[in-house]
Amino acid sequence: MLDELTFEVEAGEIVGLIGPNGAGKTTTLAVLSTLLAPHAGEVRIAGHELRRAPQDVRRSIGRVPQEPALYPSLTGRENVVFFARLRGARAAEASRAADVALEQVGLAARADERTATYSGGMQRRLSLACGLLGSPPVLLLDEPTVGVDPQSFESIVVAIRAHAKGGAALLYSTHHMEEAEALCDRVVLIDSGRVVATGPPANLIREAVPGLLIDVVTDQVLHEGWLGDLAGARACAPPDAPSSGLPRGRAARVELADVELAPRVLERAAHNRTLLDFRMHRPSLHDAFLALTGHAPRD
Amino acid sequence: MTSLRVIIAKDLTLLLRDRTALLFLTIAPIVVIAVAGFSLANLYGADPAGQTAYELPIVDEDGGELAQQIEERLSGDRSVRLRRVASREEAQRLVHDKVAGSALVIPAGTRAALAAGNPARVVLYTDPVKFLERLNVTLRVLKVRDELADTERARIVAELNEQRVRASAQLEELAATVERVRANLAMVRREAGEARERAAGELDAETERLRADVSAEIDAQLEQLAAQVNGAVASRVGALQQPAREYFDALNAARSEFEAWFAELQRLAARRADRIPDPPTFPEPPPALIRALDEPPAPIEVPMNLELRITPPSRAALDALAVGDVDLQVPKLEVPEAVVPAASLGVEEIGVDGGPTTINTFDQNAPGFSVTFMLLGMLFGVSLGMLDERDWGTFDRVRSLPVPVRNIVLGKLASRFAVGVAQMIVLFAVGFALFRISLGPQPWGLLLPIVGIVFVGTALGLIVAAIAPSRDAVVPLGSVLIVTMAAVGGCWWPIDLEPRWMRSVAQSLPTTWAMEAFNDLMIRGRRAEAAYVPTAVLLGFGAAYLALGLALFRRRLAKG
Repeated sequence: MLDELTFEVEAGEIVGLIGPNGAGKTTTLAVLSTLLAPHAGEVRIAGHELRRAPQDVRRSIGRVPQEPALYPSLTGRENVVFFARLRGARAAEASRAADVALEQVGLAARADERTATYSGGMQRRLSLACGLLGSPPVLLLDEPTVGVDPQSFESIVVAIRAHAKGGAALLYSTHHMEEAEALCDRVVLIDSGRVVATGPPANLIREAVPGLLIDVVTDQVLHEGWLGDLAGARACAPPDAPSSGLPRGRAARVELADVELAPRVLERAAHNRTLLDFRMHRPSLHDAFLALTGHAPRD
Repeated sequence: MTSLRVIIAKDLTLLLRDRTALLFLTIAPIVVIAVAGFSLANLYGADPAGQTAYELPIVDEDGGELAQQIEERLSGDRSVRLRRVASREEAQRLVHDKVAGSALVIPAGTRAALAAGNPARVVLYTDPVKFLERLNVTLRVLKVRDELADTERARIVAELNEQRVRASAQLEELAATVERVRANLAMVRREAGEARERAAGELDAETERLRADVSAEIDAQLEQLAAQVNGAVASRVGALQQPAREYFDALNAARSEFEAWFAELQRLAARRADRIPDPPTFPEPPPALIRALDEPPAPIEVPMNLELRITPPSRAALDALAVGDVDLQVPKLEVPEAVVPAASLGVEEIGVDGGPTTINTFDQNAPGFSVTFMLLGMLFGVSLGMLDERDWGTFDRVRSLPVPVRNIVLGKLASRFAVGVAQMIVLFAVGFALFRISLGPQPWGLLLPIVGIVFVGTALGLIVAAIAPSRDAVVPLGSVLIVTMAAVGGCWWPIDLEPRWMRSVAQSLPTTWAMEAFNDLMIRGRRAEAAYVPTAVLLGFGAAYLALGLALFRRRLAKG
């Protein structure tokens, strides 16, 4: 359920749609892709009102879904040609477009192999190639890099940036904050179908988490109030235990106004305990989301 | 339309690369058709390939040609494989040991009894559990019996006819002979008559000659006798004539004297002369006597040429020789009407449509299981294909392209429809090549129910795709649906085996109409027109299913 979700994506802009699973990212993209009809509100894409001119909207968008959305029995080229043909290209045009798209995502060499033989990353790249067909003015990407290898990731990012540079408006849905932070010009943080915050990632981080962060891990539980009163230091929500691998209760995060407060934090953490590990870092978009929502994007 | 063509081509490509699906669509039904066909062959009583023939032990205690004749006739029936066994006990053992369902014994003296016109029986040992086998074997033995009886009757009739022909020829020959005899008799009679006439003539001539000879002889004798008599008479008359003449001279003189005396007397008596009586007159000698005295005696006229009456000899002998009318009235002999031996009442089975009366089991099984597998393939193909597209995400990807949803659905349905039609054609072709199924008088007519039932299957697949929540739900849902439709609709066995109420229910199933059309075209040998109504019904079913499927599908899409 989306609730008063309002945002804009300008031409040539990459906007990240950030939120935990179930936040409404996929639903949002489904609405924008004309797969779901909104009960209320207005959606305008490339100047076309979605409810009135869904076919015009479809002609204007390129969609790269969360799953590869490819025919495993078809070759990479056949997949691309198929989607190009459905975009209205003639056979020869589709074939040329396929060559370009496959080259663009680095799959030209394996274009004639069945998609089922592709790795997950290659399938993602191929899926992106299909979404880029016809150079749509609006590109909707739904977690296009999930589970991809670094090589594929890089290839995807390059292609996305190139498309944005070409003047397309890109909406990039992901729960990988680092990815969004690195790629997106702006992000729209959503949670439970509502916009939590929007803006350039650096601004959001700065506004949500102004200082530095230090994470500590000890051999015993850090009870509430372990930090005591330390000016310029504030205990905040610990990193996601399951995902970080830290034992619950023995990890803590402290926001520091000044880097010089770090030794004192470590000292207090090691009081009657053994400090097993610590890491001091600048806050990320993930941290900003955590700070804004009180839970991690993957909750 | 481009998008529709592209989607169809894509789906066909996907299918062609899905070996499992191809296997399911082609090899699997062929295997099942073969297995079912051979398994159920005996249900129909005949297997054209003879591979499911009943083994029928046969014992010939009669030792005659009857067993040979029975064997010859049954050997032409591919549903029965004969096995000669030495004894009745062995035949019974084979039935008892369930090696055979029936065993035929031809008791000793059977042929002789039949030849003598006495009733005779062969013995059929049967296992009542093997009902169909017993029924089929009994029918075939009875059929052979009827054929043998007919043959024997035909032989007798032919023999009788031959005898009649011979008798007729003999009668004709007899009639001809009689005619010839009649002619000969007539000729004999004529000749006899002529001979008799000739004999009579000769007899008459001989008699005449004899009479003439006799008469001449008599005349000669009479003439001689007359001469002799005349000589004697002349001699004697001459001897008498002289005295007689002298007498008569004297007499005449006396008379003249008397007359002169009397004339004197009368004169003397003058006046009394009148009183004197007239003197007696001297008779004048007869002139003949005078002439006789003057002439030589006339010869005695011997009658000559006597009319001899010779009584001809009796002709009785000749008459006895006459050939009378021989009664050759041969009674009219007619060849009696042929005595036709009492005929056996045979049964001539004629297919009302002129088609064969025996059924090739594959004519039922090939279309039946082809329809079943086509429906399963169609249902799984359409519904799982839709679900695959959903799971792969390609369906949504295509929906987000400028392609009408209608084309997406219709493209998939059309490709599956084409595959279904092709599948049916392939299965029928394989059935024709491997199992010799009948394609009817107009093979193209099979396309009508094929198109109809494939359309139904396509639309059904859409319904299942719309209502099945997951792939796991498709198989049980689709299987139950198709299996029920196929079984009740007569795809697996003749619908006539089902109870009446089930047959009534079956009218509401498209499979029933499809099989009705296939049975009409393939088994009953009807022309394509017979498939018009069933095909129209099938298209009606398909249209209704398609409308329902599209409505359900739209609702599902709306729900997301």
